[in-house]
Amino acid sequence: MNVSTGKFFSARDLTKHFDGIRAVDSFSFDVAEGSITGIIGPNGAGKTTVFNVVTGIYRPTSGKVLFRGENITGLRPDRVVRKGIARTFQNIRLFNRRSCLDNVITPLFQRERCSFTGSLLGTPGARRLERALYERAFELLRALGLERFASMQASNLPYGLQRKLEIARALATEPTLLLLDEPAAGMNPEETRSLANLIAEVREKFRVTILLIEHHMDLVMNICSPIVVMNFGTLLARGTPDEVRSNPDVVAAYLGKGKDRR
Amino acid sequence: MFLQTLITGLSIGGIYALMAVGYSLVFSVLNFSNFAHGAVIMLGAYVGLALATKLNFGFGLVLAGSVAGAGIIAVLNEKLAYSSLRRRKAPSLYLMISAMGCAVFLENLVYATIGSRFYAFPEFFGRQVVTIFGSSVSLLDVGAFIFALIAILGLHLFINRTRTGTAIRAGVCDMTMCSLMGVDLNRLIAIVFLLAGAFAGVAGVFLGIKYLVYPTMGWVTNKAYIAAVIGGLGSLPGALAGGLILGVVETFVSTYISSVLRDVFSFTLLIAFLVWRPNGLMGIDSEEKV
Repeated sequence: MNVSTGKFFSARDLTKHFDGIRAVDSFSFDVAEGSITGIIGPNGAGKTTVFNVVTGIYRPTSGKVLFRGENITGLRPDRVVRKGIARTFQNIRLFNRRSCLDNVITPLFQRERCSFTGSLLGTPGARRLERALYERAFELLRALGLERFASMQASNLPYGLQRKLEIARALATEPTLLLLDEPAAGMNPEETRSLANLIAEVREKFRVTILLIEHHMDLVMNICSPIVVMNFGTLLARGTPDEVRSNPDVVAAYLGKGKDRR
Repeated sequence: MFLQTLITGLSIGGIYALMAVGYSLVFSVLNFSNFAHGAVIMLGAYVGLALATKLNFGFGLVLAGSVAGAGIIAVLNEKLAYSSLRRRKAPSLYLMISAMGCAVFLENLVYATIGSRFYAFPEFFGRQVVTIFGSSVSLLDVGAFIFALIAILGLHLFINRTRTGTAIRAGVCDMTMCSLMGVDLNRLIAIVFLLAGAFAGVAGVFLGIKYLVYPTMGWVTNKAYIAAVIGGLGSLPGALAGGLILGVVETFVSTYISSVLRDVFSFTLLIAFLVWRPNGLMGIDSEEKV
């Protein structure tokens, strides 16, 4: 997929205060269509708050979110999803007591127009729709290697697979921009590597742009470009992995400043 | 005698189930005890009474009017008393306190405007009886039981098959996640209250016909809370089973032991369930895998 340079997504001077704490403070960044953009930064830098503001879970104190030429600032979460932005959570939030298939069918069903009485009575048309939804859900599970677990209760899946299921469910809302909040959290190096491949694959296959928050530096440095670095709610640096790696401010934020070596 | 008692019990149980279903639905989605549910039942009964006595409507229209009236009242109740708390993500205890306030307010509103008189519905079914296996039972009892079963079955199909039902089930798991699936939560919650109110309307009419209509009649929902706990809070089949069990047990106790002891039995049952089986008969295990 080509990385286009047009304005696909941009946040302008995004600010979010919580009782006087500036979680995000005049933060601006862009995401180019087709890219895998990474957001990194120390704990508490405000990365997840940015996701929450973008997806409508929080209203920003000030600033703008622009997506495909539209101002989506402060829209309700369901409106944002329907504009084409989906997300996953740092602490996985699946519909735990439901099967993997049901988890994916839920968003698919919400995108359909269907007759109410038809569904209630189980008419042939409604059954056809149901079968079509099952097939599409199954395809999504297959794309993430979860087809064997289709009927398993979501909470019984191993941790790594729960993360994949959450990605499958997010893809079911047919997004053009997918936000992943620490997709590799709690994974070992091998799992992290296979996740990196999977994310690249998902981008190609579903033609989505990806914005991800991550602490696993090898994952970020391997698949993300550009990388946006946040610290104390503000933009610290931005650039290719190499640029970010060699940026003295970034090194200082992560490792702490040495004693005046200048 | 036994069969008569059983059917009376099932009919009362059916009414308990209708009340418990609405209460349980709201509980499972918003996670708070909607103590105003009883007041909505009471208002539904008054709506039905007005239609029956002032406009001389037949039973079908009275029921329909009361369903619509109570449904609208429940939605308004949510919009006025709960929605702003909900939007500010207030703890569910606040919602519960607001609900208690609504219950007291609505009851006193009826006292102030309509008065404390007890009213009776016109006799829709007269003293008609049907004969089942040689015992005669009242048509109202059989009708109430069958109607409750059909209504709850319909709700069950709605929840399990329709798009909105799927959204409700998702909301029961996680409201934020539900909205991130593209569901408008304000609309969804309005639908939940409309349904709960509609069931309250049915329960109100049946209660009113079977007994009387008066401002504090809504407190009978205490029994619905017991039924919901017995069945498992948040479970619809559970609410049905819990309602029927409670109705039958109560009727047998008052027929064969003593009607004074009826409520003692009901609340003992409640406490026993809370101690030994807090998730009820069909409730979801409250221990989530961490």
